[in-house]
Amino acid sequence: MLRLTSNNICKNFGGLEVLKDVSFTVEGPELIGLIGPNGAGKTTLTNILDGALKPSSGTVYMNGERIDTRPPYGVARAGLGRTFQVTRAFRRMTVLENLLIPAMAMRATARQRDFEEKAQEVLEFLTISHLRNEYARALSGGQQKLLELGRLLMLDPQMIILDEPFAGVHPRLMDVIYRYITEINAQGKAFIIISHDMDTIFTLSRRLLVLNYGDLIADGDPEVVREDPVVKAAYLGEDEE
Amino acid sequence: MENAAIFGWALLWILFWGALGGVVTPRIYARKDLEISQASFGGAVIGAALGPFSLVPLWIASPKITGRLIGIAIAIVIGIFVASFALADPDNLCVANGGFVISQLTNGIVIGIIYGLMALGLTLIFSILGVVSFAHGEFYMIGGMVTYFMSAVWLPGVSPLVAILASCIVTFVIGYIFERIFLRPMGSGEIERPTEYAILVTFGLAFFLQYFTQALTSAVPVKAQRFFPFPRVELPAESGTLLKMTPGNVTIFDAISVPNPRFTAAVLALIMLAALLWFLYRTWVGKALRAVSQDRQAAAVTGINPNSMNTLAFSMGAMLAGLSGASLVQVFSWLPQVGIPAAARSFVIIVLGGMGSLPGAFLGGLIVGLVEAAGTGCIPDATRAAAYIPAYSMVILTLVLLLKPTGLFGREL
Amino acid sequence: MNPTAIYRVAGSIAIVLLLAIPFASSELGGVGPLVLSSYFMHLAITAFFYAILASSWSLLAGYAGQFSFGHMAFMAIGGYTSGLIGKFFRFTTAPSELCTDIPLLGNWWLVILNIRRVGTIDESCLDMARAETLPAGTLIVFPPVWASIAMGLVMGATFGLLVGWLVLRLRSTYLALFTIGFSEILRASISAEIPITEGQSGLELVPLFPGGLLGFTSTSKIPPYYAMLLLFLLAMALMTWLAGSRFGLFIRAIREDEEAAAALGVNIVRYKVLVFVITSTLAAAAGALQGHYIGIITPNTLIILQMSLVIAMAVIGGLENIYAASVGAIVITFALELLRTSINIGPLHVDMTLWRLVFFGLLLMLTLRFQRNGLLFPILERISRGGVAEETVSIREESEEDWEEEVEVDQLEDSPSDSGEESAG
Repeated sequence: MLRLTSNNICKNFGGLEVLKDVSFTVEGPELIGLIGPNGAGKTTLTNILDGALKPSSGTVYMNGERIDTRPPYGVARAGLGRTFQVTRAFRRMTVLENLLIPAMAMRATARQRDFEEKAQEVLEFLTISHLRNEYARALSGGQQKLLELGRLLMLDPQMIILDEPFAGVHPRLMDVIYRYITEINAQGKAFIIISHDMDTIFTLSRRLLVLNYGDLIADGDPEVVREDPVVKAAYLGEDEE
Repeated sequence: MENAAIFGWALLWILFWGALGGVVTPRIYARKDLEISQASFGGAVIGAALGPFSLVPLWIASPKITGRLIGIAIAIVIGIFVASFALADPDNLCVANGGFVISQLTNGIVIGIIYGLMALGLTLIFSILGVVSFAHGEFYMIGGMVTYFMSAVWLPGVSPLVAILASCIVTFVIGYIFERIFLRPMGSGEIERPTEYAILVTFGLAFFLQYFTQALTSAVPVKAQRFFPFPRVELPAESGTLLKMTPGNVTIFDAISVPNPRFTAAVLALIMLAALLWFLYRTWVGKALRAVSQDRQAAAVTGINPNSMNTLAFSMGAMLAGLSGASLVQVFSWLPQVGIPAAARSFVIIVLGGMGSLPGAFLGGLIVGLVEAAGTGCIPDATRAAAYIPAYSMVILTLVLLLKPTGLFGREL
Repeated sequence: MNPTAIYRVAGSIAIVLLLAIPFASSELGGVGPLVLSSYFMHLAITAFFYAILASSWSLLAGYAGQFSFGHMAFMAIGGYTSGLIGKFFRFTTAPSELCTDIPLLGNWWLVILNIRRVGTIDESCLDMARAETLPAGTLIVFPPVWASIAMGLVMGATFGLLVGWLVLRLRSTYLALFTIGFSEILRASISAEIPITEGQSGLELVPLFPGGLLGFTSTSKIPPYYAMLLLFLLAMALMTWLAGSRFGLFIRAIREDEEAAAALGVNIVRYKVLVFVITSTLAAAAGALQGHYIGIITPNTLIILQMSLVIAMAVIGGLENIYAASVGAIVITFALELLRTSINIGPLHVDMTLWRLVFFGLLLMLTLRFQRNGLLFPILERISRGGVAEETVSIREESEEDWEEEVEVDQLEDSPSDSGEESAG
């Protein structure tokens, strides 16, 4: 059973406090939305959970192991996968190679052909199996986004953080991503989704975290959070979409 | 060296405590939840300065590591270095002869000004295009070549100023053409991975220009006449103890002696520097250039065309290198290969000063000039000292890259 | 026939041809009308030498994206290590008392000769020892060439490890500058330490096969040809295997996007250091072998122009493919020799010996600008993809559907993590 706890994370850049005492716990296959106005610290929090940044203070534990001291690849191996706000496919490698990398990285002795079948399944699930041998740079922006999601499936983490998965995506692909999140979540993987798309995030997530200038100001059921006066004042009131 | 061991042990002491301070300090600061951006570099220099006597208090009290603290530590390190050298080799000219020291320092500053001018061109290119031109040394070489051929072969007797102007025009035009054909497409997204492309294509330009010049001029070293010989002056008259000028040399106080070509070159460099500052801070185009270097998008919105600024910056950078070459062709003998050490030195200077920083490039030039002068003057074995000249600045480069990649005035990453 | 099979057949034919070439050499009497001069054999050896350097550099720069200008420095480390061992190390059956003696197994001693002062013709300490302290009948054995070459490899790997570890934090331009610095420091040190390295006049190395081999004399080109060819084939086999394995996959991912690779579980530290170690070792091996074949090594092999020649070979062949890079190196080595002529265009006398490198410099720039993948690689690529052009229609199909909805990029949040292409930290 997955259990991720973040204890009193603070992060300063120079004199600027980007995160102040952020604590929360994820237990089991939750589907969490993380929202907040620009500059709230969402991406910084993601980078700390992922190991790309070290917290100024505070700790992160995953299944009883401390992960904030590990490098990003150590965190990935502990079972946490993420996407980036700007799509980061390996552009001059084929779609198949893109998918093989996380699978191979997770297992020291594996060979490529052991994973080709699984890669094919993932591609079919994401409706891009016809692009299997294309270079990633030949894909459209939305397809590259799907490819990133596919890489996470090959990594097979227990928890996935998606940074703006719906931004700049065609509605048809949006349905695929939506289906991806719900189905993979149903298979037992936890999600944290960062999004500006309020409608989607409210209907999709079953728990909302709201960051405002480094403070975690709300954590709970979306319907409750929506009515929370603090959230309304700090965020929704001034930035209604 | 008489007591080489003293110097050796002092060096080992500095290195050991420096390394220890550099590795341990950031960990201690991190554990205390303190700012660690300066901890590694600061810890290294403070450790190098006084070893355990400064590191232990630093680790216990953990004060904020300020620029002032680092400055004091660096001064102490240099002091220890100099003192141990003096103890180890008391008969060395650098230690025993004050006049020699002042003379070396002056020459170091004089040559450093010209190095700085060349590096300014490189840093200008970097600040606008985000590219380090690996062909910078070749523009320097061409600047010198054109000046020599103008004044000695094509138009003998022509004013050196005309020859220098010609070298400026030639290097500017080559820079212009190269930028338009090879670097312009980088901005339009036509070229993938522009950083790597820029490294390789400027490297290719260096290769091309060097062999092109060699094919045209053959590999015989050339050297221009001194541009402006000094008048003969002796103050006070006859004895000349205050100031003594001969066509090839000037001596002040009987101690500081600067050869004429170096002096002329440094004056030319200072004039160009003033002109460059006037251009960057007083003219519209110069302001536009600076605007682009600070924020490309914002500048573009205000109607500045970033593409033409790129071209201008690259051509001007090339011209500044050409100009340094033009002023130094009367100092050193000139070969198609002279650009390589000069370029390497410029890389050191801009990394030391902070990539893209104009004052940093100038200060870096002075530092490298001084270090080279000290290295050449103080190492006892002259032939070995000469062979190691290119290495001094490279040691600075590797140290800066490892300890503080942002350099003296670099924008914090 | 599928592409892999084409490669296999073409590769086998090439290997057989390369193995057969010496039989057509003048030393062996040639084959029918075809007699290859010993100068041709020399060129072939040089071509293999450059092919190893260019292809290993392509693995480092083209696959892993680490644009190092220090490759020739590792080459020189291999050559100088092997040469210095040959110059200073001897094995004896009794201690010399005058040199530095290190006891080994049994009654064998490793004797390290003293450094002679410059400009003197003193006898070496071992010569004096032979006259004075060494008992009669003491055996003095030179270190075997293969062993000193092996030490060259070890040194290459060690320095590769050191440099690879030091440059972990440095990216693109900074890495290029650092490696130039490393190379220049090494060159200056070799030039300056004349008592040890002989400086500019060059360090002499014993021949590859001092006693000759299988009836060939020590100056014959045929044993060195096979030695260099063997090293070349071994290097290619090793790199082919690496490039096709997880190693190749990971270093290319690191080249494309280091952070994304790390987020997917790739141990970027290990693979970045490893690629430096492997390519440096290969360069050192080539350098040691070439040093013994030529018989002398000078610090001029380290100058940046030698490095740019290797870069030109790799880029013109195809930077992102080890085969293209090695074929590029072989073609250019021979092309440079063929162009040692002069031509007359009307009244104009053009000495091509001077202009050939100008031509290659221009070719290097034009290749980079207009044919980024090199001149040979696209051909190989075309074969392997069965004639289908790389960029298919998918871009055009999808681009009209692509929504250009601006992602609201948050400057504050982005700046610390995303310090851009040029950052050093």
